Amino acid sequence: MNRGFIQEEMLHCTDMTVLERETARMKWHQDQQQQSYFGGTEFGGGGGGGVVFQGHEGHHQVQNFQGLVGTGGGDLVLGEMVSQSVKVVDAAGLKNRWAELGRFELPDMGFESCGLVNGTSSEFEMTAGAISRTSSCAPKVVVAAVAEPKGKVSAPVGKESSKKRKADKVQNTQVVVEDEPKDKRKKLCAEDGESKITEQTSTKNTTADNNNRESSSDTSKENSKASEVQKPDYIHVRARRGQATDSHSLAERVRREKISERMKYLQDLVPGCNKITGKAGMLDEIINYVQSLQRQVEFLSMKLAAVNPRLDFNIEDFFGKEKVNFKQNSCSFGSLGNLGVQHFLMLLILFLLQYQQMFPACSTSFPTIGMSSEMTNPAYLQFNPAQVVACCGLEMGINSSDMALRRAISAPVSIPETYIDTPSFTQLPPSSTWDADLQNLLNLEFHQGRSTSFPSQPFTGSIEASNLKMEM
Amino acid sequence: MTPKGVTLNTNSHKIKFARRFIRTLLRMRKNAPSSSSIEEIRKRSQRIKIAAYSSMAHAVGSRRAWSRAILFKLRNRARHHGMMRRRSMKKRVIKNDPPGDQSQTNKLRQLVPGGKAMDMCSLLEETAHYMRCLSTQVKVMQTIADHFSK
Repeated sequence: MNRGFIQEEMLHCTDMTVLERETARMKWHQDQQQQSYFGGTEFGGGGGGGVVFQGHEGHHQVQNFQGLVGTGGGDLVLGEMVSQSVKVVDAAGLKNRWAELGRFELPDMGFESCGLVNGTSSEFEMTAGAISRTSSCAPKVVVAAVAEPKGKVSAPVGKESSKKRKADKVQNTQVVVEDEPKDKRKKLCAEDGESKITEQTSTKNTTADNNNRESSSDTSKENSKASEVQKPDYIHVRARRGQATDSHSLAERVRREKISERMKYLQDLVPGCNKITGKAGMLDEIINYVQSLQRQVEFLSMKLAAVNPRLDFNIEDFFGKEKVNFKQNSCSFGSLGNLGVQHFLMLLILFLLQYQQMFPACSTSFPTIGMSSEMTNPAYLQFNPAQVVACCGLEMGINSSDMALRRAISAPVSIPETYIDTPSFTQLPPSSTWDADLQNLLNLEFHQGRSTSFPSQPFTGSIEASNLKMEM
Repeated sequence: MTPKGVTLNTNSHKIKFARRFIRTLLRMRKNAPSSSSIEEIRKRSQRIKIAAYSSMAHAVGSRRAWSRAILFKLRNRARHHGMMRRRSMKKRVIKNDPPGDQSQTNKLRQLVPGGKAMDMCSLLEETAHYMRCLSTQVKVMQTIADHFSK
C-alpha cells in the first residue's frame, strides 16, 4: 500500500531528490560507466545536486535537465527535474547507501569543485559536491538525506522525543512543510529514528502560517541561510537522531561541519598542531603561522635587498631568451614531483656559472650531491649545491633525490646552449673554466655511473648527448 | 589529506613564482643603482617584498580569492600611484578596533588578503591555500637568498 502511495507522491512532490539521489548513487556504484559528463558540466553550470543523478538515470532526463539548466539557474532545476522524473526506489540498495552516506556525505561537502567529473573515483565527491553545490546555490541548502522506502509506520519512541523538541520551538519561518503529502513523504523517506522525527516535524508544522508559506512553494523542508528566498528546489537535510530538526539548526550544523573539516585540513598544514584541539587554539596557531610566514618573507626580502647589489651582470637578456625553454622544461617537470625548486636552482646555478669569469676560477668539484663538498670559494659565490639542496628543505625523498636531481639537472643543462648563440653571451669568453664547471656539474649527476665521463666534445654536443640519455 | 576543492599544484606555482620573482629582481637590480645606504636597502626590501607577493599572486592567477585581492590591490596601487600621492594623507586613515576586542577571526581576515569579505568557510579555505603558497614563496626566496649570500 505504501509503495503505491509512494509512487503517486513521487509524481507530485519535489522532494524526491533524496530518493533520486539514492537511486543514482546506488546505480552509480553498480554501473560506473554511465557516469555522464553532462552531470559534471551542467553541474558546473550551477545545477543542483540532481544534475548528477539525472545524467545517470537516463538520457531523456539529461536532456530535460539540460533544458532546465538553459532556462534558469539552480533555482528551478531541482524542482522541475524532480517533478519530471519518477524513480522507483530500491530499498535494498538504498539501505546500503545510507550507511555510506552517513560516513561520507558531510565530510565531502564543501570541498568539491565544479570540474570534478573525473570518473568513478570521484563519483562520491561529485555527489557530495553536488549536494554542497546546491547548498551554495541560492537556496543554500545542504542535503544529507537518505531515502529508504521502507514505508513503515514510525514507532512511537522517536515521535516522543521529536515531539518534545518540536514543542520547544515554534518553527515557522524556514520550514516549508505540507501537512498531508509531507507525512506520506516522510513515511516514504523514512529511516528509523529520523523518519519519525521528520514525520513529527511535518505533523507539528501544520500551522496556519506554515500552510500559507508552503503554498508559495513546493513541499520540502527548506534549510536555507538565505531564508528570505523560497524556491521550489529544496534540499533535504537529514536530522540525525537526537539532534534538533529545525531548519536553522540543521543549516548551522552543516556549516559547522564544513568549518570543522577545513579546520582539520588546516591542522594538517600547520606544523605541530596535532595536539591542539578546539577551534580557538587552532585559529591561534594558524594566525601565528601565517604571521610567521609573512615575517619570513619580509626578512628574506630585506636580505635580498642587502645582497642584491653584488650581482650586477646582465641576465635580463638571458631570461628573455630562456623563457621559451623554461616553459618547455617546466612542463616536462610537471610530473616529476618536488622538482620545481631544484629545477630553478639548477637554472640559477648554471647562470651563475656562466659568469665564473668575474670571480676567481671556481674549480669546484662536486663529488656528490649529498655531500657538502669543500670548495674553493670564489670571491662572491660559494656554490654549494649540497647546501642549497638542504636549504630547500629536502623536499625530495632520499631515494628519489639522486635520480630526480639528475633529471632536474639534465633539462636545464640544455638551456645554456641557447645562449651560446646570443650576442650577449659572446661578450664572455667561452672560457674553459665554464666548460669545466659545467662538466663537473654533469659529472655530479652521473657520479653513480649512469653515464660515463664526458668526452671533451664541443659543449653543446655533450649537453645534448646527456640530455638524450637522461630524458630517455 | 586534501579537500577536493583545495588542490594545489605546488610545483607549477613554484616554477612560475620563481621565474617572475627572479625577473623582477633582475629588473630591479638593473634599474636601481646599487647603493648600500640603509634607506635604500629598506626601500628596496619593500619593493622586493611587493614583488614577491605579486609574483606569487600572478603565479596562482585568478583562481583564488586571495590572489585576486592581491592583484586588484596592485592594479589599484599602480593606477592611483600618482593620484594618491596628493590625497594620501587623508585616505590613509584606518580605523582601529581596540585590540582587545579583535577576535581571532578578524585577525585572520586581516592576515589573508581579501579576507575581510569572506565568510568563515571560504576564509578557512583561502587560508589553507594561502599558507601553502606562502611556504613555497618562503622556500624559493630562501634558496635565492642563500645563493646570493654565499
